[in-house]
Amino acid sequence: MNKFPWHLVVFLAPAFIIYGVFSALPLADTLRLSIFTEDSFGVRSFLGWGNYEFVFQDALMSQAFWNALWVNCKFFFINMIIQNPIALLLAALLATGRIRGVAFYRTAIFLPTLLSVVIVGFVWKLMLSPVWGVGETLMAMVGLEDYFGPWLGMPESSLITVSLISVWQYIGLPMILIYAALIGIPDELLDAAYVDGSKPLRTFFAIQLPLIYPTLGLVTILTFVGNFNAFDLMYSVYSGAGGGPEQSVDVLGTFFYRTFFGFASQIGSTTMGATVASLMFLVICVGVGLYFYFVQRRLLRHQF
Amino acid sequence: MIRLRNLARPALVHAVLLSYTVLALFPIFLVIINSFKSKRAIFNDPLALPTPATFSLVGYEKVLQESEVLTFFANSLIVTLVSLLLILTFGAMAAWGLSEYKFRGNRWLYFIMGFGIMVPIRLGTVSILSTMVSLNLTNTLTALILVYTAQGLPLAVFILAEFMNQIPKDLKEAARCDSVSEYKIFAQIIVPLIRPAIATVAVFSMIPIWNDLWFPLILAPGSSTQTITLGVQQFIGQYTTNWNAVLASLSLAVLPVVGLYFVFSRQLIRGITSGAVK
Amino acid sequence: MANVSLHKIGKLYGKTRVLSDINLTIDEGDFVVLVGPSGCGKSTLLRMMAGLEPITEGELQMEGERVNHWTPSERKIAMVFQSYALYPHMSVYKNMAFGLKANKLGKDAIATRIQHAARILKIDALLERLPKELSGGQRQRVAIGRAIVREPRLFLFDEPLSNLDAALRVQTRLEISKLHQQLRATIVYVTHDQVEAMTLGNKIVVLNDGAIAQTGSPLELYQQPATEFVATFIGSPTMNLLPGQIKAIDADGCTIVLSCGGEVTVNVLTEQAAVGDRVKVGIRSEHLAEDDSHDQRLYGKVSLVEHLGEVNFIYLTLADGQELVLRGDGNRAVAIGEELVVSARAADCYLFDQHGQAFLRRYPGNMLIEPKLAALSASQA
Repeated sequence: MNKFPWHLVVFLAPAFIIYGVFSALPLADTLRLSIFTEDSFGVRSFLGWGNYEFVFQDALMSQAFWNALWVNCKFFFINMIIQNPIALLLAALLATGRIRGVAFYRTAIFLPTLLSVVIVGFVWKLMLSPVWGVGETLMAMVGLEDYFGPWLGMPESSLITVSLISVWQYIGLPMILIYAALIGIPDELLDAAYVDGSKPLRTFFAIQLPLIYPTLGLVTILTFVGNFNAFDLMYSVYSGAGGGPEQSVDVLGTFFYRTFFGFASQIGSTTMGATVASLMFLVICVGVGLYFYFVQRRLLRHQF
Repeated sequence: MIRLRNLARPALVHAVLLSYTVLALFPIFLVIINSFKSKRAIFNDPLALPTPATFSLVGYEKVLQESEVLTFFANSLIVTLVSLLLILTFGAMAAWGLSEYKFRGNRWLYFIMGFGIMVPIRLGTVSILSTMVSLNLTNTLTALILVYTAQGLPLAVFILAEFMNQIPKDLKEAARCDSVSEYKIFAQIIVPLIRPAIATVAVFSMIPIWNDLWFPLILAPGSSTQTITLGVQQFIGQYTTNWNAVLASLSLAVLPVVGLYFVFSRQLIRGITSGAVK
Repeated sequence: MANVSLHKIGKLYGKTRVLSDINLTIDEGDFVVLVGPSGCGKSTLLRMMAGLEPITEGELQMEGERVNHWTPSERKIAMVFQSYALYPHMSVYKNMAFGLKANKLGKDAIATRIQHAARILKIDALLERLPKELSGGQRQRVAIGRAIVREPRLFLFDEPLSNLDAALRVQTRLEISKLHQQLRATIVYVTHDQVEAMTLGNKIVVLNDGAIAQTGSPLELYQQPATEFVATFIGSPTMNLLPGQIKAIDADGCTIVLSCGGEVTVNVLTEQAAVGDRVKVGIRSEHLAEDDSHDQRLYGKVSLVEHLGEVNFIYLTLADGQELVLRGDGNRAVAIGEELVVSARAADCYLFDQHGQAFLRRYPGNMLIEPKLAALSASQA
C-alpha cells in the first residue's frame, strides 16, 4: 500500500490551477455564456440558441460574420501561398551549407518577428503613406512609380497589403523551423544522392522535401491557428478594430473585439461577444481537426 | 566538366538572401535614422542619414516629457520576467509530473494541456475579464502576469516534457537507489539537464508576451499599468502628426529588443534547432 | 573496364595536411583495401576517389582520362556507405531505382537490373519494404544492391561492416568476397580491421598519418612488412617487438643481444647493418613454440593465460620486464608463475632498425628471396 503521492500533486498543481482558472475555464465559460443573454442591467438569463440564431439571421450581423470569416480565409490563403514558400526558399538557401554568414542572415531575417506589432504596423503605414513619400521614392528607383497608390486605404488592395506586412513580420518563424528540419537530414543521404547522379534540384524535391513533410505540416497548422487569431496587426494599422476600408480587412479577431466592446454606434455585448468567440473556437477546431484527420495521420516521422 | 554541388552558385544564394535581409531590416533602419533628424529633414529626404545639420533629438525629448516611457518599460519588464519565471517553474514541474510518473488520468491531463497550444487563449477573454473584475484585478500587472502564464504554460509543458523524456532512465534510477527525494531529483538533476529546452521555451514565450497588445488593452489600460507596446500605441494615436516624437517613441520601443536579441541570438537559434519543436 | 590510377594525390584542408603523395594503380578486377588506424586518411582518400571531396593535389585517372573534376556519376562509380544511407521514405525498390532514374534509364531496364541484383543478394522478397522495416544486415544488402544496379566501373565501400554485430560481420564478409568473384567487379574497400583487409583484398594499401606505409598482397604484407608499423598492424595478436643491439653479422644474418638478456639470430639481408646498431627483433606469436624445439630461445615467467579452446594465448614476462605473447596448445595446462622456455626459428624472425624500417628477410615463407631479387634486378638492368 503506497503512501499518497503528494509530490505528484505538488508538481502538477500550480501549472494546472493557473492554466485551468485563466485559460481552460474561461474558454468553457465563454461557450456557456454564448447561450445566455444580458439585459442592460447586466442580468443574465438563459437563452438557448438565440444568440447563434441572431448571428446567422440578422442581416447586418450575419453579413459581418460571413465577411469576417471569408476575409480570414483569404488571409490564411495568401499567407500559405506567399509566406511559406518564401520561407522554404530562404531556409533551403541557408541550409546549403556552403554559405558563410549563415548566422548573420538567420539573425537579420528573424528580427522583424521580435518587433512589437505596433511598430510594424506603424512603420509600414509610414512607408506606404503617400504623405511621407518614402514608398513612392523607392518605387521610383526601380521605375515603378506609376503603380504606387494608397494601397492600405483601398478596399481592393488593403487585404493583400496587410497580408504582405504580416508575412514580412512573421516569416522568420517558419523559416527557422524548416531550416532546423533541413539541417537535421544526415549529410550521408545527400552524399548518396550525389553519388547516385542526382542533380541538386532533384535531390531537393525527391529527398529533402519529403523528409521534412512533418515540419511543413507543423508550419501549416501554426500558420492556420496564428492567422485565425489575427487581430493586433489590423488594430495597429487601422488604429482600431474597424476592419479597414469597407471591412476589407475585418478578420474574426476584429469582429470579435467589436462585438464584445462595441464600436461607433454599435453597443458591445458580453454574451454576443461570447457567441462570436465560440464560433471562432468552432472554426479553429474544425480546421485543426481536418488537418489531423487528413494530413497528420499520413505523415511518417523519420528517425535518423 | 565542372558541376556545382549546391542548389545554386554561392554568389546567387548570397544575392537572394541579401535582398531579403535588406527588405527585413530596411524599415527598422529607416525609423531609427529618422528619429534622429529634424522634422523638415524627415520630410525632405527621408532616406538620408542624419548629418550634423539635420541631427536633432527633439523627438526623444518630447517622448520623455509627455509619456511615461520609463514606466511603460518597467511594466513590460516586470510582466514579462515574472510571467517567464512562473511559466518556466510551473511548466517544468508539470512537465516532470506528467512525463515521469505513470498514473491514471495522465493522458487526459496531457490532452487538456495540449489543447491550450491549439486554441488561442483570447477566445476566453470575456470570462477572463469578468474573473479579473470579480477578483479586483483589473488595471493591475498581476492580471497580465496570470493570463500570460496561463497562455505560455501549454507549450512550455510540452517542450520540456519532450526533453525530459530523453533523459536516460539510469540517472533517475541511480538517484532513487540513493534514496534521494523526488523534489531533489527534480531540482538538482533534471533541471540542469534540460537547460537548452528552458532557453528555447524562454525565448518562445517571451516574444508574444512583450509584444502583446490585446490583453494590456483589455485588462490593464490604465496609464500607470500600460506596457510599452500599449504605451507606444496610445502615444502614436495621440501625437500622430508629431513625426519626431512618434519616430523617437518607436525607436525607443525597438532598440532594447533589438539589442537584447543580438546579444542572445545564438542561444535562441540553438534552442530552436536543437529539436525541441516536434 | 577499370584501370584507375592515382598520381601523387594529396589533400589539404586549409593549412592542415591530411594526405600526401598517394600513388596507386588499380587494375580491372582488383579488390583493393585501404586499411589503417583511425585518422589515417583512408576515408578521405575514398571520398576523393568518389568525387565527394575535391582533390587538392595530384591526379586521378580513369582509363587514361584525368577525372579530377568529374562528378561521381560521370566517373561511373558507386558507393556503399558505412551507415548505408538508404533513403528512409522510399521502398527498397525505389531506393535502388533512384540513381537509375536520375540517369534517365527506362522503366523496363530499371526493373530488370533491380530484379537481377535483388536475386543475387537475396532481397527480392523485400523490395516493397521501407528501410526502417529491415534488419541491419538486410539494409546492408540493399545498400550494396543500390550500387550493383548502377553497373559502375568501380565500387567503393566505406567501412560497410562496422555497424554490424560480430557474427553478421563474418557472414557478410564472405558474401562480399563471393560477390566480387561473381560480378568480376573492381572494388576499393576501406576498413580499419586488418582481418577484413587480409581476407578480402588482393592488394592492400596500409595508410598511416596520411601517407602510404606499404602496398602489397596480403602475403607480402605479412612476410615482408616494410616498416615496424605495418608489421605490428597486420596479424593478431600483435607481433612481439624486442629491443636489442647487433652483436655480430655474418652471411646468413645478424646476431642480436636483447635487452632481456637473451641472444637471437635473425636471417635478414645485412647490407644496411652495422655492429652496435640499435634494433628491434620481431617475432609473431604464431612462430613461438612452447618449448625449446627451435634454436632461438627465450626465457620468461607466465603472467597471464587466455584460454580460447583450441589455443591458449600465453603472456610471458621476460627478464627486463617486457611482455611476450605466444600461442600454446589449448590442451596443455599452463600455470601462472610457471617458468617457461620458448623458441623460434631464425628464419621466422623480423628485424627493424632504429627508424622503424624493416630489414629484408631472407626466407619469407621459407623460400630464399635472393634468387628472386637477382632476377628482378636483372630484368631491370
